[in-house]
Amino acid sequence: MNLYQILFVQTWPWWAGGLGLGLTAVALAWVAGEKLGVSGCLSAACSVVLKKNKETFSSWPIWFLIGLPLGGFLANLGHWNWTWLYGQMDALSLGNFYLKGFFLFIGGALVGFGARWAGGCTSGHSILGIARGNKMSILVTVAFLVAGIVTAHFLYKVL
Amino acid sequence: MAKKIIAPKKTINKEIRLTSQPKIQTKKSSYHLGFLAIFFGIAFGFFLSKSRATDFDTILNMFLFTDFQLYGVIAVAIAVTALGLFLLHRNQKSIAKQIDQWENPVIDRKKMIGGFVFGIGWALAGICPGTAITQLGEGKWSAIFPIFGLIVGIFAYFKLMPEVKRKK
Repeated sequence: MNLYQILFVQTWPWWAGGLGLGLTAVALAWVAGEKLGVSGCLSAACSVVLKKNKETFSSWPIWFLIGLPLGGFLANLGHWNWTWLYGQMDALSLGNFYLKGFFLFIGGALVGFGARWAGGCTSGHSILGIARGNKMSILVTVAFLVAGIVTAHFLYKVL
Repeated sequence: MAKKIIAPKKTINKEIRLTSQPKIQTKKSSYHLGFLAIFFGIAFGFFLSKSRATDFDTILNMFLFTDFQLYGVIAVAIAVTALGLFLLHRNQKSIAKQIDQWENPVIDRKKMIGGFVFGIGWALAGICPGTAITQLGEGKWSAIFPIFGLIVGIFAYFKLMPEVKRKK
């Protein structure tokens, strides 16, 4: 149990992970006065491409998005390797690579579309929104969870 | 703040639509952050990965009620954020002013449908936008599919529902 193991190899218990995520949100508000929200950042990145917005490639959402995979890389530095495996998704797609890609693509598209429609994703609504006591965020989070629970039970318990 | 800047009436329709989007006005402060945001991105991705949010099975087991890790993560994150924002709001006047400027989404039950759509995708692909991008850095190749889907979904939203965006 040395520092290297804790930082780069192991996963953390729920309270430590939540503490880190919460502190990141607070730090972002403290340093920049910005609200945390990954789907908002993604949307800003897409706006750059569509030239719908004044956001540019040097604005902060783009840099935030670049930072995310670097963080994931750091967290798994100790045992990092490429893999196509994707947990139980491999079982659901019967080991068929293209079917898996299709499922993941559809899921991703639903998430992207729904996140914009709802006005935020898990980070924006569920963490920051509820922390600010926003009623809409609570409603949306309930919708997230209910739909997710129903879908997961349908896909993995019924089928 | 967002509504103060209104395009002159003489400008053509297209320009009005462009300038009346709230993001342009409310995000003026964002340009101060610039590339420093990469450190926040790194921190957020790191903690997402550490809390196992980037693992498909963890998210699935959360929905199947066999693993309560992520409920705990989200609950603690909410508590920490709420406490932190409360303290910031009380002790830092300039930050408090900015926090007050954050737009509060109005209650709109139609948005719940978006939430349901999101939830279905969340369970199917096992990702939320942040974790999909983080997975790419973890070496999970398969994450390119949901990321591609995310981008397509957002573009589709822009194309299909511009009126919703303008109404905000």
